[in-house]
Amino acid sequence: MNTAARAQVAATLVFMASVLFIAGHAPPWCTAIALLSVAWRLSIGFGWLQPPRGRRGARFLFGMLTALLVAAVLANFRTVNGLAAGTALLVVMGALKLIESRTRRDDGIVVGVSLFLLLAAALASQSLWRLPLYLLIVWGACAAIALIAYPGDALRTRTALRLSGRALAMSVPLAAACFLFFPRVAGQFWALERGAGATTGLSDEMSPGSISKLANEYDPAFRVRFAAGLPARAALYWRGPVLNSFDGFTWRRERARFYRAEPLEMLGDPVRYRVTLEPTWQPWLYALDTVDASPRRDVFMSYDRQLSTMDRITDVVSYDAVSHLATRSSGELSTLGRRYETQLPDGRNPRTLALAREIRARTPDDAAYARAVLEWFRTNGLEYTLEPGTTTLDSVDTTLFDSKRGFCGHFASAFAMLMRSAGIPARVVTGYLGGEWNPAGGYLIVRQSDAHAWTEIWLEGRGWTRMDPTAVVAPERLQRGILDLFNDSLPVASVFFRNTWLRQLNHLWDGANQWWQDQVVEFNLRAQFDLLRKLGVESPDWRHLGWAFALALLAWIAWVGLSLRRSVARLKPDRLARAWLRATRRLARVAPPRAAHEGPMDYARRVGALRPELGPRVEALAARYARLRFGPRAAKNEIAQFEREVRRLAV
Amino acid sequence: MNASTTSPTDALTRALADLDRIILGKSEAVRLALTCLLARGHLLIEDVPGVGKTTLAHALAHVLGLAWQRVQFTSDLLPADIIGVSVFDAPSGGFSFKKGPMFTQLLLADEVNRASPKTQSALLEAMEERQVSVDVTTYRLPDPFFVVATQNPFEQLGTFRLPESQLDRFLMRISLGYPDAAHERALLAGGDRRDLLAGMPPALNPDAVRELQATAQRVHIAPALLEYVQTLVASTRQRSDIQIGLSPRAGQGLVRAARAWAMLAGRDMVIPEDVQAVFAPVASHRLDAGVNTGADHAALIAALARGVAVPI
Repeated sequence: MNTAARAQVAATLVFMASVLFIAGHAPPWCTAIALLSVAWRLSIGFGWLQPPRGRRGARFLFGMLTALLVAAVLANFRTVNGLAAGTALLVVMGALKLIESRTRRDDGIVVGVSLFLLLAAALASQSLWRLPLYLLIVWGACAAIALIAYPGDALRTRTALRLSGRALAMSVPLAAACFLFFPRVAGQFWALERGAGATTGLSDEMSPGSISKLANEYDPAFRVRFAAGLPARAALYWRGPVLNSFDGFTWRRERARFYRAEPLEMLGDPVRYRVTLEPTWQPWLYALDTVDASPRRDVFMSYDRQLSTMDRITDVVSYDAVSHLATRSSGELSTLGRRYETQLPDGRNPRTLALAREIRARTPDDAAYARAVLEWFRTNGLEYTLEPGTTTLDSVDTTLFDSKRGFCGHFASAFAMLMRSAGIPARVVTGYLGGEWNPAGGYLIVRQSDAHAWTEIWLEGRGWTRMDPTAVVAPERLQRGILDLFNDSLPVASVFFRNTWLRQLNHLWDGANQWWQDQVVEFNLRAQFDLLRKLGVESPDWRHLGWAFALALLAWIAWVGLSLRRSVARLKPDRLARAWLRATRRLARVAPPRAAHEGPMDYARRVGALRPELGPRVEALAARYARLRFGPRAAKNEIAQFEREVRRLAV
Repeated sequence: MNASTTSPTDALTRALADLDRIILGKSEAVRLALTCLLARGHLLIEDVPGVGKTTLAHALAHVLGLAWQRVQFTSDLLPADIIGVSVFDAPSGGFSFKKGPMFTQLLLADEVNRASPKTQSALLEAMEERQVSVDVTTYRLPDPFFVVATQNPFEQLGTFRLPESQLDRFLMRISLGYPDAAHERALLAGGDRRDLLAGMPPALNPDAVRELQATAQRVHIAPALLEYVQTLVASTRQRSDIQIGLSPRAGQGLVRAARAWAMLAGRDMVIPEDVQAVFAPVASHRLDAGVNTGADHAALIAALARGVAVPI
């Protein structure tokens, strides 16, 4: 490759890398345009294509193209503000810059655009796996800057990479100082609005089969770190959306319904834990069994002890919660509550209604009735399966009498209906059951495949009581996860599941990701204050952070200054050099200035050639300077003498 | 005039004047050639035929008052042809070594790139070691010992290019180039240069040359300038358009040459201009394989020197 094209090729490659890095967050057509212009520029750089000759009207066409692309971005996003639209705009503008790039300055701008794209990519996603790629591209970008900036375009690529690596290594402490101490004040400019993503996990509706769809999703739903030990596995009921309305087929949550919450008495020791929830694009938060109180100010706890946020969860969120595994309510369920929680659609699932009447006739006591229904579930040949088949609109009838096959949702739905048929308040709770212990990270991973549905019924003197009909039909579900139970019918996940080595690797990687998420991504103002407290600040506020940051910054500057001291000292002229520089500055008024590579005698001769009247004096002065500078050690008085001569030099 | 009655420095000035009288209009090249020899380096003169390469070598030997030999290198020249051979001596019943033309003070190796690599390496080894080994005996070469080699870079048929490692043995590579119009007219008007030489007493002798060589190495060089030389040498290792940068040996050569150049200019210390003056002849043949003598290469060498600031 010809050396003149190297800087341009380097800038192009850096641009390509950053476009690919952010490809997931920019519209595909923008990425395609950018890659096309990269391909075109590279073909010129490698000599496969001739560079274009300037044609008349080209600039006009180019201007039109620019306007067209800006309009296209506007049409796509209806704005040019915000991260997504800004990224798209930056990608296409970078592509255009690459096309018209001619000078070294243009290459510099292309690298600058690439760095901005990297910044946008860091705002859009902070996953751990992106970090090495990110560093790699930044390294390349700095090397490209070195190549572009080096005079003559002849810096070795290896030298450029080394330079860039050194500069980045020197900037690491500064980055650490910014990370630790730069005040993360609320309402930051980087809190940008994000686009919509796909909804995963549970919703506020449950139809037959909706939960079994989740069963082969290996993705984590959330992770839990317990303050003390892990509670018994069969107690790990993670409550999510509570469904209170049934139409004979679907259970859903009616938002307009609410009633006074009953007084609750917490029993046993509290369980303290921290949940790190993956984005769900839903407002629900998950908590273990009965949660004490809302974990955060912006989290709302409803009458049925369901936690939800004001906005959808679009980011990884963490919250601390306290739960009790046993509770009692000696109070009464409100009249409104009783009416809501016993409501059933008219004329649906007639066979189930008949069954309820039949059992209720035998057992007038509520608790005994519930036990009898569970007994019926156990003895009537129901099968727990991932493939329960389709149901009619009378879904409970189909499950209990025709197919006799069902997943947790089917059984919960049927049980709750049987309870309501007998006038016992009942509701369906969806959420997760169990989880997988990650020994590498010391936390529990709850996956989408752990999704579960169960019921809660109101018993006088006890309050809302959890009833899990699935535990009766398939008792092993309480001890083992879905993946374990249905190993053979889950092709993808089972590969992970059977291979212990892969599983351990997966645990390690998940643990590293958690650490990254907890310690780095979620390092917020509170964590900064904790750090300051550890450093001995009594009641830290953002001003302390500012001071700490300023101190760290000063320390860094001092460190860099010290490590560069040798070259700095060399750059600092001594007395003799100052005198000589003074002389050359004075002469620069009548002759071109001295070039950096020009020795004193050469310079004096050049001045003499331009101004013959000055020649002999300047040459004598230069000769004297050369002798003092490059001869054996000069005496102090000689230097003083030289200074006087410089002062006498009249131009 | 007798060389022994004047001081070596005066004699040096006279030698330079004599050389300028023989080689017209090439004072820069002549000074560089003399500098090279005073820095105890071997000299490679590279140019088209007929511009006075051999005359320069001849004049150098004559003016310095050195014994000299000329060997025309050809492709069938063998190492023994220049080193010498062991011959059977019938009266003593043993072998005796008959020294070849290399045992001289100044060896003119004409068209060195015409010889086979074997012969070239025999010569270059002697240049480095300043001694030759024949059978089991080592013979020291006289002191001073100089090789002035010439080569024609434009004639490639039937030549063997000197490899980089061997080019490195030459302290300098210079070229003469065509004389300018005035000097060429003077050259045409004047007689044969060799006749002129014959009527000219040598300005120096081997002892004076040795003394001057020792004096040259005592010329003061400031630490700041050593740093400058190091930066200059290191800068050649950072460029993508140079495959192999200058070696530390090249850096040593640069310092030696700069000292000799300063002495020739009548100074007892080196200034940055001295380093710059000898940089191109010391560096250029080490930064390519000996074929690239075009304007691009000269521009590259000049750019290298311009790329490093002189110490203030």
